[in-house]
Amino acid sequence: MEAPDEIFEDEDEALEIPADPMRLNMGPSHPAMHGTIRMVLDLDGETVMNVDVQPGYLHRGFEKSCERGTWAQVFPYADRLNYVSPMLNNVGFSLAVEKLLGIEVPDRGQYYRVILGELARICDHFTSNGAGAMELGAFTPFLWLLKVRDWVWDILERETGARMTHSFGRIGGMAFPPTDGFADDVRAIIPEIHKVVGEAEGLLLKNRIFLDRMQGVGILSKERAVALGCSGPVLRSTGVAYDVRKDHPYMVYDRFDFEVPVGEDGDNWDRFMVRMEEIRQSIRIIEQALDQMPTDGPVSVTDSRIMLPEKREVYTTIEATIAHFKLVMEGLKCPKGAVYSFTEGGNGELGFYIVSDGSGTPYRVRVRPPCWYNLQAVREMLIGDMIADIIPTFGSINMIGGECDR
Amino acid sequence: MPTFKLNGQDIPFEPGDTIMRAAWRAGIEIPHYCWHPGLSVAANCRMCLVHITSGRQMAMPTLKWDEKKKAYVPDTKPKLTPACQQAAGEGMEVTSVGEEVENAQAHVQEFLLLNHPVDCPICDQAGECKLQDYYEEHQHTAKRKQTEPVHKPKGVTFGPTIVYDAERCIMCTRCIRVCDELVGDHVLDMRERGNKNEIVLAPGRELDHRYTLMTEHVCPVGALTSQDFRFKARVWFLKSVEGVCTGCSTGCNSHVDFDPRIGKVYRLRPRDNEDVNKFWMCDDGMMTYTEVHEGRLKTPVDGRGEGAERLLPEEAVDLVAAKLGAVDAKKLAIVLSAGMSNEDNWVLARFAEKLGAGRLYLAAREAEDVGWEGDDILRSSDPNPNRAGATLAAKSVELHDLEDLAQDVLAGEVSAVLALGHHGGEREGALDALGSLDTVVVLASNEGPLSAVASVQVPVASWAESFGSFVNGQGLFQTFTRAIPSPDGVETAWKTLVQVAAALGHDLGYVRTGEVRDELTQSATAEAAAEPTATA
Amino acid sequence: MSKKVTKLLQKEFGDKILLATDFRGDAEVTVAPKHWVEVATFLRDHEKSAMDHFTDVTAVDYPEREMEGGARFDVLLLCRSMQHNHRMRLRTELADGKKLASLTPVWSGANWAEREVYDMFGIEFEGHKDLRRILMYDEFEGWPLRKDYPIDRVQPLVEYRDVDSTLKLPPFGIEEGQPFARIDWEERLAGRDEQVSPSIGLQLGQRRALSDSKVAEDQAAELAQKKAADAAETPES
Repeated sequence: MEAPDEIFEDEDEALEIPADPMRLNMGPSHPAMHGTIRMVLDLDGETVMNVDVQPGYLHRGFEKSCERGTWAQVFPYADRLNYVSPMLNNVGFSLAVEKLLGIEVPDRGQYYRVILGELARICDHFTSNGAGAMELGAFTPFLWLLKVRDWVWDILERETGARMTHSFGRIGGMAFPPTDGFADDVRAIIPEIHKVVGEAEGLLLKNRIFLDRMQGVGILSKERAVALGCSGPVLRSTGVAYDVRKDHPYMVYDRFDFEVPVGEDGDNWDRFMVRMEEIRQSIRIIEQALDQMPTDGPVSVTDSRIMLPEKREVYTTIEATIAHFKLVMEGLKCPKGAVYSFTEGGNGELGFYIVSDGSGTPYRVRVRPPCWYNLQAVREMLIGDMIADIIPTFGSINMIGGECDR
Repeated sequence: MPTFKLNGQDIPFEPGDTIMRAAWRAGIEIPHYCWHPGLSVAANCRMCLVHITSGRQMAMPTLKWDEKKKAYVPDTKPKLTPACQQAAGEGMEVTSVGEEVENAQAHVQEFLLLNHPVDCPICDQAGECKLQDYYEEHQHTAKRKQTEPVHKPKGVTFGPTIVYDAERCIMCTRCIRVCDELVGDHVLDMRERGNKNEIVLAPGRELDHRYTLMTEHVCPVGALTSQDFRFKARVWFLKSVEGVCTGCSTGCNSHVDFDPRIGKVYRLRPRDNEDVNKFWMCDDGMMTYTEVHEGRLKTPVDGRGEGAERLLPEEAVDLVAAKLGAVDAKKLAIVLSAGMSNEDNWVLARFAEKLGAGRLYLAAREAEDVGWEGDDILRSSDPNPNRAGATLAAKSVELHDLEDLAQDVLAGEVSAVLALGHHGGEREGALDALGSLDTVVVLASNEGPLSAVASVQVPVASWAESFGSFVNGQGLFQTFTRAIPSPDGVETAWKTLVQVAAALGHDLGYVRTGEVRDELTQSATAEAAAEPTATA
Repeated sequence: MSKKVTKLLQKEFGDKILLATDFRGDAEVTVAPKHWVEVATFLRDHEKSAMDHFTDVTAVDYPEREMEGGARFDVLLLCRSMQHNHRMRLRTELADGKKLASLTPVWSGANWAEREVYDMFGIEFEGHKDLRRILMYDEFEGWPLRKDYPIDRVQPLVEYRDVDSTLKLPPFGIEEGQPFARIDWEERLAGRDEQVSPSIGLQLGQRRALSDSKVAEDQAAELAQKKAADAAETPES
């Protein structure tokens, strides 16, 4: 055995004195762990040697709760999955049940769903990127982005009656047809969105601090992202051009011309930029959808076994009363079977695996939350990075507790 | 057995069966309102129209709307047949699906709803209404009629038990047929015709025979509602278990409908059993559910009258054990009950054997004391559900009645009583003699003549709160299921007895209902094998 | 699209494919639990299926099937191919109390999915290295997504946990070593910290915990080697 002074004769090497690894607990009630995630870190100095990501602090038993109501009663729960873009969850769940029923919503309803969904996606990305920048000290972009998000929410409020948890989707369509000024409102907001995206980028993209903390931090390789089941912006940032809207077109997405932005390195910067670009692509989709959308016609199927009849009819005719009664008290009867239906949610592939036993109550509703698998990948993104890198990395995967923990 | 084909499936039938009855036996439902397996065929609702595709086809000339010509053009359609009336024939081919049949069903349903009031929110039938079910299955279209519906009398009191709403009525005449065919009392009939017809009472009469609730039971819609159940509960909140009526020794099979959220039984419904009650129950039997909640004993009581003291459940077991331990087994009277389950009686009889008490009595209601009358439809003359079961529990020991008990007490041969149940001793003064004894332990679910003279009352689970079985007058062994939980600390009588026996140092060895039941059925089978003529 | 994969599987596995359905266009194939990993690996590795994108593992509880003598749970794997853009649902019926081989060696993504299935249904996965509860806490009693778990069951209060005995802490272990160096960025960006999954295939660039004892040992060995080499060089010069 060599004497200690021989080992550390070089000063640089002496700096590498092995330190005891420090066990540090972060969260669940840490301001940067939004959505109440707990991370147990093993630190060597400031370097993250290992991390155990622990979700579950926002678990509310979504899947269990679904098993005791009717199919339609799942909508308010679905709103509270990814509560930043509830419309996408609503539509995702509707599509799953419609797949099980084997029905298709009229064209106008599909376009309506697309437009509302893309607006929700824009809000989702605004929130993610705005909050991510804010956590790095850039408060202004956050305020600017959220200001425009609020205007988008104004539109959603006019359409659905609620700013956040709309519960606006219905099995077989939407709760109400578009309001009269809908298309004009949306067209009016588009330049604002473009403008604010440009402004936010102007503030951030040449900011040295921002660049340092985003570029080369939280890297995830393409192969690992695929094997870990990542999807959405997290997967696309690694260079995989997988977007459900493009690869498995649902609703009317195959009628639009849009691109799937991809990154190269799979770092925070790429995730940020992919989201920014997706906002622009969403606007392209919305513009095309507004042009193509029929101006009249039903937005929902008219079968009284699936859609609730109009209230006026319910109060005056026995047929509508019975239809209403049956749908509310017993619920819509889905054929026996199981389907997996998936859509592009705010964070990636939002899947619903639903099982029906033929009664009015879901037998099982499994949500495949994109956040769940994206969050799983955080461990590999973080190992080797510094403790301060946790904040932008965790921010950039846009973990939404409601969806992840259900 | 001959067969015919229904939608490609072979259905066996007995000669004389209609298509409907054969399908019903095979477990296939052809939609219907007026047909009932226990009643004659009326064939007036036209919901069960089917298409007989074999044999000579009758075609009806019709007009069909032609979208291109914008005019009605001549067309033909097959003549459909009511499945409830058409006798099945060997090799007949019947279809109850397909466009024609479904059209007919949709239109019949539309006609039935033509003048129907918007009553679902206030109607007791909602949730178990055939109009609702068939609307969803066979019609599901919006209303086309724009004019005011025909109005008819609502809320007509037909008798002490039934209220009639003519607007909801679809004139299936099931209620009329129940009165005619089951009871033989033509108290209901129909008057007027078309959309003005309604069910009416015979002049000067009320609907007051013993089976009035069956009219409500067969009513497929909310036209007839029971005064008792009306506006009490919404049926989709109720759950149902299988029960056996405790009204008399017929032991009619029932569904016990209860609200699981508050543990309350709301009604009984007859459960089909070809061997016992067919499809029916009498009014008194239907109302036996009230005893689950009325006059319920909930806490153990020590002492009589002014000095009575309430006890905790665990104190009660010790007290009973102490009291029984102090008496001479030779002078201890064991009273089995014709109103309690086989399990309770069996364990009490075994406990008596352990104690060495040989004096067994049977507490049973006498028909004349409780104002019970039998008939030839369902009601037996014995108003006790389980006299046979109690006799079975006593094995070969002879059971004396309560009159003998009173005499034995007066004669000084009995100095203590351990009694089960709330049946028996209804005659005025029948149990006065027991009032003077120091030790009269009564295990009962409800207040009754026995608990009135008891020095110690121990509450036990009622039939709705326990798994158990009765042996009816025919000797049929019938089980029933627990619907609601017992009040806190209250156990079934046999479990309480096992605890008392344990406190006295006797191990009866029963833990689960199944063990008791297995033992008593084995014993009964052995007995039946020994003397084949006794029970069959 | 995925009917091709169904045919491929039927051709490859023959009788091992117990059932192949295509309800509403969702291709689903049922296998026995013992062939679970084998078929999954085939799905991932065969060039015509190439299901490299892990989607989900979940389960469904059918207690009534158990009463009829069948297996209680359905365990389902959903996977997708990046290259061919097709999907497959693999299903197996698993009896209560039986273990299922873990898919973590096939797809790393199965890690949390299987932990969740374990947490919610009590199905254990053999070969899963870290099968802890994930959404629920360790003191939670019962398996919430089983049908016989009443939705309104009240769980017992959890006693105050001492930090030392915190059960929800990860299984890092004290002996798991002291790392010797910070990240070697060159190595990492060059993708040289690959590791071979012990059972199946190569998983590119999987990063492991640096506090993992093996890495520490490797690095210690490397350091020792280097020192030995240095020591060998010194006398010569």
